[in-house]
Amino acid sequence: MKTLIIEVVDAKRIGELVTVARIFGDTPDILALGADQIPGTFGKAYFTDDTVPANLIDGAAKLIQQEGYELVLLSATTVGTEIAGPLSVRLGAPVLTEVIEASADKTVTRPIYGGKAVATFSLSQTPAILTIRRKYFEPATAEGTTTAEALAAETAPVTLVSEKATEVKGIPLEDAEVIISGGRGLGAEENFTMIREIADLLKAGVGASRGAVDEGWADPSMQIGQTGNIVAPSVYFAVGISGASQHLAGIANAKCVVAVNKDEDANIFKRARFGIVEDYKKVIPTLIQALKEE
Amino acid sequence: MHIAVLAKVVPDYEVPASDFELTDGRAHSRYKRMIGLYDENAIETAVQLKEKNGATLTIISYGSTNDIAVLRKAIAMGGDALYLVMGDSDDPYVIAANLKMAIEKLGDVDLVLAGQQSADMDRGLVHGLLAGMLDTPFISQVSHINADSDQWTVSQIHEDGTRELSFTGKAVLSITSIPENVPRIPVVRAIFAAKKKPVEKIEGIAAEPMTVEQKSVEIPTVESVCEFLPLDDIAETSKILLSKLREERYL
Repeated sequence: MKTLIIEVVDAKRIGELVTVARIFGDTPDILALGADQIPGTFGKAYFTDDTVPANLIDGAAKLIQQEGYELVLLSATTVGTEIAGPLSVRLGAPVLTEVIEASADKTVTRPIYGGKAVATFSLSQTPAILTIRRKYFEPATAEGTTTAEALAAETAPVTLVSEKATEVKGIPLEDAEVIISGGRGLGAEENFTMIREIADLLKAGVGASRGAVDEGWADPSMQIGQTGNIVAPSVYFAVGISGASQHLAGIANAKCVVAVNKDEDANIFKRARFGIVEDYKKVIPTLIQALKEE
Repeated sequence: MHIAVLAKVVPDYEVPASDFELTDGRAHSRYKRMIGLYDENAIETAVQLKEKNGATLTIISYGSTNDIAVLRKAIAMGGDALYLVMGDSDDPYVIAANLKMAIEKLGDVDLVLAGQQSADMDRGLVHGLLAGMLDTPFISQVSHINADSDQWTVSQIHEDGTRELSFTGKAVLSITSIPENVPRIPVVRAIFAAKKKPVEKIEGIAAEPMTVEQKSVEIPTVESVCEFLPLDDIAETSKILLSKLREERYL
């Protein structure tokens, strides 16, 4: 299937989409947002200076129609979500979001009901649009760099007034081999200090459940779950997290989950490899002590 | 100012995986019905916008008359009226086309808000399709909205940070959850008042569904293999845990 990737210039995100394109048997082209030097080798590469998805729909739709792309791949991120729906209407193309499995026979799988079920679909019409959930496909290694040609600007109904990158304290969740997350069970914002202390000792990233973010104890950028960060660490410590299916959907690819929760019936223990049924205030200080002694 | 909030009634999203059952590829009908997780954040955001700027707030839903009792909560939170488009499709194109029809019927809607994704199909798609059909901009993961005469300025939370974006005219915005838009719990007086607010039921329209074939829906089998560590001496428990994590090469 002749494939176009639309993505921000981020080697890992692009690499994951290249992997999916290869499953469908194609070496994809790319439309990159924001920069003309793209990691990886592409036959055709385009870029736009404008990084506001709402301003790219018309240009992208024209490009897809002119070049006859059969498949458009996006990450299931803010950018991918903003492009997928409007682009689908422009192209009259079916769209499946949050894809977690893809096969050469053009079937794809996506979770529903917070990951409690999975639905498999067959793609029969082209062009088709897929958004791919992060961390489910090993990113293809980017060989070299491709210089992209500018895509003609179309109308720009939305203006970017300002932009601020999240300041990551410690290890970014994206790259963390170990992640320690706190949930509503922590009881207060200041108790995240304990989580940060053990994270420093384990060189771990610090995450949070939606409940902790809603309480205002953690920044939204720390949220892990279906609608937050999708992560795939080697070890994931869930501290005071009940384990709602929406949270578990964000850690489906964690190799080992350690749950600390005083409620023995908490759902998190169904996903955990190791469980400690105890107040985290008793457990985490002893873990910190044990790590310091090593 | 007329704000429309899209709200979907979904099966209880807090049912744990171990109790989850399907019938005909969809959640069993025995589960309690409720307003979608993020739709309530969208309603709260709209109510705050109404309180600040003065606005009419219409809740629009696509579903069955049985949903009205559930949707009364949205009215009690601060909505002025409920507009229910009756239909039973779960195809995103059909739903978006019906919502478009409802918005056009209302005529003077300035801004459409919706939760960032439903809590059943988890597609996060219908609002984007609707924006495409209405030919208006679509901005997702919006946390704050400010109105200044005919210009809107919104804050967006994305994976790498935040953005402030502005536009004039109509748009469809998907709303994310932040501490400031945790849904309010309606007071008893508001619940009673909601029973008197107008509910308009309109017949859904036939629309072309999306051309993909659903092959199967399954509940993945998850084997629980949790090893509960002893609790007699917590200091020892911590040491055991670290040693096991290293033994199995996780750390």
